[in-house]
Amino acid sequence: MTAAKIIINEIKGYHRFLQAMIVLVGLGVLASAVRFIFGLGATTHLNDTYPWGLWISFDVVTAVPLAAGAFTIGVVAHVFHIKKLEPLVRPAIITGFLGYSLVCIGLLLDLGQPQRGWHTLVYWNLHSPMFEVSMCVMAYTTVLTLEFLHPVCERFGWHVPLRLLRNLEVPFAVLAASISSLHQSSLGTFFLIAVDKLHNLWYNPLLPLLFILSAIFTGLSIIIFEATLVHRYLRQPDETELLQTLTKIIPWFLGLYLVVKLYALAYLSHGPRFDRPGLTALFLLEMVGGVVVPMVIFSLKRTRTDSSLQLRAATLVLAGLILNRFNVSMFGMIQKNQEIYFPSVIESLVTLGIIAAHILFFVLISKYFPVFEHHPETVDYAIPDRFHKIEGSEEGDKTVKA
Amino acid sequence: MNAGGSYENTKAFLIDTTKCTGCRGCQVACKQWNQLEGEKTHFFSGEGYQNPPQMSEYTFTRVKFKDYKKNGQNEFAFYKEMCMHCNEPACASVCPVGALKKTAEGPVVYEADKCIGCRFCMMACPFGVPKYEWSKAFPLVRKCTGCYSRIKNGLHPACATACPTAITYGTRAEMIKEAENRIKNRPQRYYPKIYGQHEAGGTGVLYLTHQPLDELGFKPVTSRPLPSYTWQALRMVPGIFLTVGGSLSALSWFTHRKERIKREEEMLGKGRSPEAEAHEDREERP
Repeated sequence: MTAAKIIINEIKGYHRFLQAMIVLVGLGVLASAVRFIFGLGATTHLNDTYPWGLWISFDVVTAVPLAAGAFTIGVVAHVFHIKKLEPLVRPAIITGFLGYSLVCIGLLLDLGQPQRGWHTLVYWNLHSPMFEVSMCVMAYTTVLTLEFLHPVCERFGWHVPLRLLRNLEVPFAVLAASISSLHQSSLGTFFLIAVDKLHNLWYNPLLPLLFILSAIFTGLSIIIFEATLVHRYLRQPDETELLQTLTKIIPWFLGLYLVVKLYALAYLSHGPRFDRPGLTALFLLEMVGGVVVPMVIFSLKRTRTDSSLQLRAATLVLAGLILNRFNVSMFGMIQKNQEIYFPSVIESLVTLGIIAAHILFFVLISKYFPVFEHHPETVDYAIPDRFHKIEGSEEGDKTVKA
Repeated sequence: MNAGGSYENTKAFLIDTTKCTGCRGCQVACKQWNQLEGEKTHFFSGEGYQNPPQMSEYTFTRVKFKDYKKNGQNEFAFYKEMCMHCNEPACASVCPVGALKKTAEGPVVYEADKCIGCRFCMMACPFGVPKYEWSKAFPLVRKCTGCYSRIKNGLHPACATACPTAITYGTRAEMIKEAENRIKNRPQRYYPKIYGQHEAGGTGVLYLTHQPLDELGFKPVTSRPLPSYTWQALRMVPGIFLTVGGSLSALSWFTHRKERIKREEEMLGKGRSPEAEAHEDREERP
């Protein structure tokens, strides 16, 4: 009883926004229960024309690139060894860990036979992009869970695993990037099978390449987005100066994406491109609003130091990415004169619950675990020589890594 | 998938729509053999006279009705819709657990025990064949089996057996030859194309028609086998993994090199010079 009381008292102390998130997560859990009791047909608006709906389009196809922050910053900070970016790594890993865990939950909710999810581990089909993605997602979720153990071990002072985890920091960053480049692109491969279904504005053989490129700039943008919001609403230090490095990288990837996209559209797509005004509008919105405009903003000198400009450009990139994934997985698939799919209340509640869960758990983890305190100036990054508690060292440059 | 294999000797349906009377005996035979529930339908609930309005978990095949005008007279064209039993099926290639398979005999069959219910097969099929058990809490996919169990026992599929006029069943090579002969012998009767000969890389169901195919509602489908579209990307997976992993490992070896050397020097220095030892006094061990 007392434990419950402590928890209730703790929750009462939370900000009203967090309490709202708890309610949304609760509704999402309820909606998932309803989905399992009554089945997909009764609770969703999916049917034989729309076998995939909101859950695949958002919870999987969009959520995976939105969780790409962990691997991109891992490469920038650990592989390229730009040490000053270290403070951005841990929040990004939390975001990635939560993102991928929720992708797994979303995927299980969408499966007709979720209790057979393990079948992918046993019955291999190397020709299936879905097999490739599910193996990668499982592998990468494991890597992210191990990376997430970092703050957990620090919190509870488990120094033996911590020592091991620190040794593995760089290998994990490399592994994360390799696995991510596979499944982020394979999500694009999903839609290569939709020949004559997906509209020519999006269907081209370079779709996998476009998916990984957009995942990279989205990953970097989500770090800007998250760090800026955390600074504004969680009273954490302003990282604008560190984010400056990212604002220099992003426009290159946006530019590369734009070039590949236009090349594919001009030379690799077949048939009419601009025959349907609705789709053309969605395409232009995605390309101009989500790629060209943020590319210009990120290239401005003012953006290097202006935190609200950074946030605006990053938000545009994220919105453009979300629209792109919906265009590919849903809007672009709608044939002429076909009924229009609209998600049911249950589908919407589940997806809202998943988004709310992400925000809620992010705030809670950063509340109870050392996520932002992890600054190189205050924490010794060295592998502990003795299995003792690590005291803050006086020199930042004592950093030694395996 | 027996990629690159020959499909000449797999079994195929030749459906001559000019001979179809629209009796729907095939629909009934299919329901009977597969023990499929009846559907409550309303006339004109779908497109024109066809009933049920579409294939579903309860209906693996149905006859489509198409009205058209010929010499000022209203005429009907019929054609039987069913699983096309592709030579290289898209559904089988995308299934993550390999629940769908092209058999050596010809039919594309489904192992319900493996299926995880991801519905990728439904997304992938260019003909919209696999249907889902939307009525169930733990649904599976349903589709025409090409009466695999009957074929294994030397019988012909239920629909082909029931059809009084339009369906011929035999090896794919024979059926193509037969269709070509019919077109050659009666050019006024037939549109000079066999639907299914090249569609989706060739299918196990071949159609002959009188009208142009698009007028009848046959979907134009690429002649390249669909699995090759995804495989051209997927085959690069091991290479990408090794390239990205290898180059990033090499890169991090270089970027961390300076620190590694510095640390090694410190360690060496500690063993030799007393100054270095004094410098490192915070590291001293008991």
